[in-house]
Amino acid sequence: MAQTVFAPWDDPTQRPLIQFKGVTKRFGEFVAIDNLTQDIYEKEFFALLGPSGCGKTTMMRMLAGFENPTEGQILLAGQDMAHVPPNQRAVNMMFQSYALFPHLTVWENIAFGLKRQKMPRHDLDERVDEMLRLTRLSKFAKRKPHQISGGQRQRVALARSLARAPKLLLLDEPLGALDKKLRQDTQFELMDIQEKTGTTFVIVTHDQEEAMTVASRVAVMDEGSIIQVATPANIYEAPNSVYVADFIGDVNIIEGAATRTAEGYDIAWAEGQPPFHAKTPVVLGNGGPAYLAIRPEKISISAEKPDDAGNTVRGRIIDIAYLGNISTYHVEIPGGTMIKAQSANTRRLSRRSFTWEDEVWLSWTDTAGIVLER
Amino acid sequence: MRRFTWFNATSLTLGFAFLYLPMIILVIYSFNASKLVTVWAGFSTKWYGTLLQNQAFLDAAWVTIKVAVISSTIATVLGTMAAYVLVRAGRFAGRTLFSGMIYAPLVMPEVITGLSLLLLFIGIGLDRGIFTIILAHTTFAMCYVSVVVSSRLVSFDKSLEEAALDLGCSAFDAFRLVTLPIIAPAVISGWLLAFTLSLDDLVIASFTAGPSATTLPIKIFSAVRLGVSPEINALSTIMIGLVSIGVISASIISKRAAVAQQRDEQAAARTS
Repeated sequence: MAQTVFAPWDDPTQRPLIQFKGVTKRFGEFVAIDNLTQDIYEKEFFALLGPSGCGKTTMMRMLAGFENPTEGQILLAGQDMAHVPPNQRAVNMMFQSYALFPHLTVWENIAFGLKRQKMPRHDLDERVDEMLRLTRLSKFAKRKPHQISGGQRQRVALARSLARAPKLLLLDEPLGALDKKLRQDTQFELMDIQEKTGTTFVIVTHDQEEAMTVASRVAVMDEGSIIQVATPANIYEAPNSVYVADFIGDVNIIEGAATRTAEGYDIAWAEGQPPFHAKTPVVLGNGGPAYLAIRPEKISISAEKPDDAGNTVRGRIIDIAYLGNISTYHVEIPGGTMIKAQSANTRRLSRRSFTWEDEVWLSWTDTAGIVLER
Repeated sequence: MRRFTWFNATSLTLGFAFLYLPMIILVIYSFNASKLVTVWAGFSTKWYGTLLQNQAFLDAAWVTIKVAVISSTIATVLGTMAAYVLVRAGRFAGRTLFSGMIYAPLVMPEVITGLSLLLLFIGIGLDRGIFTIILAHTTFAMCYVSVVVSSRLVSFDKSLEEAALDLGCSAFDAFRLVTLPIIAPAVISGWLLAFTLSLDDLVIASFTAGPSATTLPIKIFSAVRLGVSPEINALSTIMIGLVSIGVISASIISKRAAVAQQRDEQAAARTS
């Protein structure tokens, strides 16, 4: 089974499609991208994730050719892209605003890039029809952009950017303006289309759920640097820093002094309380403060103290967030720290076991938490 | 609540009377049968007939039309280019100075514009005639065009041009195939405005016109000094008509474009 897993980044024989080599981009005094080095491989669905202003859009605009790096090199299939204007790159972009040409029909919008290539009329018709079919827009070919819905416009933008069969497709917050349900459907559609066309996709988003859903690898960015690049599962289960752990999903961060044990660390988190144990192969650099990061769904909540759990702590329920399928309990533990614990609502509401002000036990295993240095 | 009070009605009537009464009188007297301008002697269109026989007026009219068409076309090209550069080029040294300088002729007294052009033409030894009027009109109409076009360009989504570049257009193709069709209504209304301004300009034309070419406003002005004839009334009526058509179509076009733009912007807002 191992060879069917798509992981070119672990294969040293694979040559990356895109290489950022020590790229810095400054706008006046402001450093948008700070000495960034990153490889992206063919057929990847690479997500750039971060808060606004972290430099993810600048990275994308440099790939498209709208901005040039101040320092460093960007290579596409081994070729240095400096001074290659946007209209001569085998790269297409789907814009955040879609940027559909309002004076052209859906058909003409999709054909626009092909006409610039001087594609023969017959091939052009065929290619546009193929794109219309791929994005299920055949019925709307004759309409103008203002005569179709938001979801359809999004698909026109996708079809237009895919029509020239680019080596690399850039998607700038492609689903940002769709409502939640449509967005989820479209995410799967995007993955499907990416697989069918075999194009490398780079997507910019600030929606972590979206990045996790569609991407083969996620790069979490902050202030012009990539903090961590990993598969969605690794980003979630093994974040390399408090920033990443906090940015992706919900997390409890417990600060304390770490002491080395046989299998990992003990975190002394409060005076007079037994330390939390964490099993980890990681070795911390110094004796400074460490952080224990635990996802709320990995913490069990019970009325009686469980015997078999590695870590237990007593607390009082302060708040309950009921989300239907799950509930999040905000539990105050000694020292005033608030811990979030999640449990699936397998029983009907009337038979729920805990309520406000209840004294409960929280517990988790030794491997549930991650020890982080920063 | 009564919005149409006596006070409102009176001030409205007075205001419009102030604006349009002189013109209405002029139009009415252009259909006067009498040769005496101030004495009404029944309805007639004969002055329009005699106007068509007056070769001097027809020549002047032909010159005026030629000047208006050519100068407004050149002004539209130059004004659109200027607007494009000023809106698109971003910040460059002296940008504020440039945009200020483009708009300055809007408020410059026409006498000064005319005089300075006259001095220039004499200085470089250019014979005054239709060519110099065209140059002069291009100069002052260009800034009007640039104001109209740049106000449209400011709200133009730049990513449309980037999309065109991304899809393989050269910068010029992106302008020709995407930007220009979208801002066309503003360009057309800029042209109509320039055309209208050129049509009724007297001051600048009289500075830059020579004996070989006279425009209609100059002709009317000099004819009036010898006494107002009903023929002049007829001619002025035609000009009022032409100018109104120009101004009204310019405003209709920009109004429609504004509606279309709003629609496209709502489309761009992607409410699904």
